[in-house]
Amino acid sequence: MHILRKIAWLAISVLASVQARSSIGDNVLVVVEPNQQKEYSLFFENLRAQGFDLTFRAPKATKPLLLAYDVPSFSHVILFNLEAKNTVKDLAPQALIDILGHGVNILAVLPQKQSALSTLASEFSLILPPPNTPLISYFPTRDEPPTLIPVTVSNNHDILTTGMNPVWFSGTPHALGNNPLLVPILHAPPQSFAGEIGGSADVLVDAAEKGGEGLWAGSQLGLVTGFQALNNARITFIGGAELLSNRVAEKEISPGVKSGNAQFAKDIAAWTFQESLVFRIDKVEHHRLNATEPRDQYTTNDQIVFEAHISKFEPRTSEWTAYSGFQDLQLEFTMLDPHIRTALLPVLGSPGKYSVTFRAPDRHGVFKFVINYKRRGFTYLQSSTTVAVVPPRHDGYPRFLSAAWPYYIGAMSTSIGFLLFSALWLAGDIRPEKRSKGQKTE
Amino acid sequence: MLFPISLLLLAASSVQAATLLTLQSPRVVITSTTTKDPIRSEPLSLAHKLTHPLNLTQTSTLKLTFQITEKESGKGIQPHQTFLRFYDAQSGEEGIQPVRVTSAGKAKFELNMSKPPVSLPPTTATSPLQVTLLIGSPNHTPLSADLFDLYVPASQPAPVHQDEASFHILPEINHTFRAEQKLPPRPISAVFALFVVAPWVFLLGLWSQNAPRPTHLASPHILPFIATLTAFEALLFWYWVDLKLGQVLSYGAILGVATIFTGKHALANIGSRRLGGK
Amino acid sequence: MPPKSATKSTPANPLFSLWKAYNESTVDRLKFIDSFLVFLMLSGIIQFVYCILVTNFPFNAFLAGFGSTVGQFVLTASLRSQVNPENKSEFKDVSPERRAFADFALGSIVLHFFVYNFLG
Repeated sequence: MHILRKIAWLAISVLASVQARSSIGDNVLVVVEPNQQKEYSLFFENLRAQGFDLTFRAPKATKPLLLAYDVPSFSHVILFNLEAKNTVKDLAPQALIDILGHGVNILAVLPQKQSALSTLASEFSLILPPPNTPLISYFPTRDEPPTLIPVTVSNNHDILTTGMNPVWFSGTPHALGNNPLLVPILHAPPQSFAGEIGGSADVLVDAAEKGGEGLWAGSQLGLVTGFQALNNARITFIGGAELLSNRVAEKEISPGVKSGNAQFAKDIAAWTFQESLVFRIDKVEHHRLNATEPRDQYTTNDQIVFEAHISKFEPRTSEWTAYSGFQDLQLEFTMLDPHIRTALLPVLGSPGKYSVTFRAPDRHGVFKFVINYKRRGFTYLQSSTTVAVVPPRHDGYPRFLSAAWPYYIGAMSTSIGFLLFSALWLAGDIRPEKRSKGQKTE
Repeated sequence: MLFPISLLLLAASSVQAATLLTLQSPRVVITSTTTKDPIRSEPLSLAHKLTHPLNLTQTSTLKLTFQITEKESGKGIQPHQTFLRFYDAQSGEEGIQPVRVTSAGKAKFELNMSKPPVSLPPTTATSPLQVTLLIGSPNHTPLSADLFDLYVPASQPAPVHQDEASFHILPEINHTFRAEQKLPPRPISAVFALFVVAPWVFLLGLWSQNAPRPTHLASPHILPFIATLTAFEALLFWYWVDLKLGQVLSYGAILGVATIFTGKHALANIGSRRLGGK
Repeated sequence: MPPKSATKSTPANPLFSLWKAYNESTVDRLKFIDSFLVFLMLSGIIQFVYCILVTNFPFNAFLAGFGSTVGQFVLTASLRSQVNPENKSEFKDVSPERRAFADFALGSIVLHFFVYNFLG
């Protein structure tokens, strides 16, 4: 049975390579209670329509495995409502961190109650409020309960489609640590706060007076937050499953206007599953100015041209296309510390090509061309190429300088003097010498 | 299309399901420990915020008092949410401070700058905090009022993760190159080159007095040696101008053999000449 | 090195008497060498002055140019001491015309090789 399944996965992955929609693979494991599955059917349908292969598994089930023989069986995992006391081994927080380390992307819906996922969230610098304190907002006046909140979407990371309608949210907010790997996607409205439904005002004041993270309130709170690990695997935490549900996807956000939930769900899935904002460095090249040959050794003060070719993943066609949109790429030329840090700008007229010309430092040693481009939400672009910078060869220095004229003349003068001296010495008559010698001895 | 919350507010206000709330005698007072009288005392309005921003120094205290009542009945109530929002539009930092309200709706809030609350966001001296009162209650229409702009002394900046900098554009680094060797003006070098030639006048002058007369210069015994020596010097000069080390060594080896030969011959000849002379 | 033994002392101008004694008592062949030595000295001094006053860059060229005069001076002085009749007793085995000059020529060629190598 197991082998059969393996073969099936193999077949699927072969198929996947033909019509992949994500840059890393199409297999998605959805961990969800079977009886809740239909509540999110629209979200699942959208994923299928995008080309993902969904496999469902109940939270208590042990198969299919996430990780078989240390090889991930799925490219992506969606975790729905993993309630407390989930003891399945491969869904434990440490196991999930492990599969993230294997490059598997995770979309996790945080439950209201304390659970294994809360522990996982805290590993990613998310600070959750006490259990059973959902987000409440009395603003604006509406027929819905204060826990079902319309949230304006602001897109500061290019993850979400621009001009999206507000989305309905119901669930738990989280405070964000200052970890730069966090990618806040949806913030709470400024008027909202986390509290007990029908709770008392004094509880809130007391909580605030306790200090620390006592009061969860305001727009600094996150509702949907991504995290991109250094291996570019992505994990997104959603404060409540309601966001993805059929109910709010079709619900009007204001009279006559559909909510943005369906699009929002699509967008965060696309980002989490490495469809959107995925880039790579195809190759880097370096050579001397006015030359094309790459070298592994440069001379101090050489004019060096460094080029990088960057492409972006296009989910619609599953192809990598040249991308010239980065305006803030930087190249470092480092030996222990960066000696030079300079802008690596796109070259007009050649898509995907970024180039910079700089003068090699007048220090010799083993240097590296380093690109370390990290921006929230974007794939981290990293590249390092080692070259040696050497002093000029003994015949590489400038010659025949005007400053050295006297020395040149001096050396030649000695040579000519020596020749003349020798000629006269050898050809000279000995007799006069004898005479003078005679004079002297007399 | 973008739907800001305010639009939603408008749309929702037409629903008119709940009772309205209002504030009774809202007032802000700023006192200071250095002076007896309050520095400023002004009534507040829900409709528009104070035209002049308020200024707080390290020693001053802001006191805000109001009573929350239902607009129609005038009955004081204690809403679930009575928050003051401090928002710095420039940095986007926000702080939320709940205000304690009695069951009769009376509220009093003190902001003592010598002991600022943790909820106050990190501030700069240049941009004011926009202070908004948010009141929310399950059975009432929520109330949001911009009260005033507030300048407070700059605080410590928010703590930043050590890797945060690498997620932004980093300052450029330029290598400081050693200064180019400056060449002296060519005329000076030329003059000194002439000076170096100058001792020749002296040498030739002296040699004209005491040099042995080159009577044997054309002698077939002497001339080859002088010629090979000259060739050697020419080879070395050529080496300086153009040749590589390997070349000069191989040419020099050939020439060396010839020079030894001619040298031996010439020196033997001179020796015999001297002996003959004797 | 000029022999001073035969100097007739004239208290009024010792330098002049020194010069006179040198002129009278030195053989022409040694004077010939001495002229060359003085020439080399002057040449070296001028280069040194240029290095101090104007520039020592390129330093290797200075070393080569200045070194050539110093080296040549040393080699020539050594030749002089070998052919000086007064030192005949010291260099009994060295036939002045053969060994001394052969040494001088070989030394000079090797010196000049290094000079041009360094001249840059």
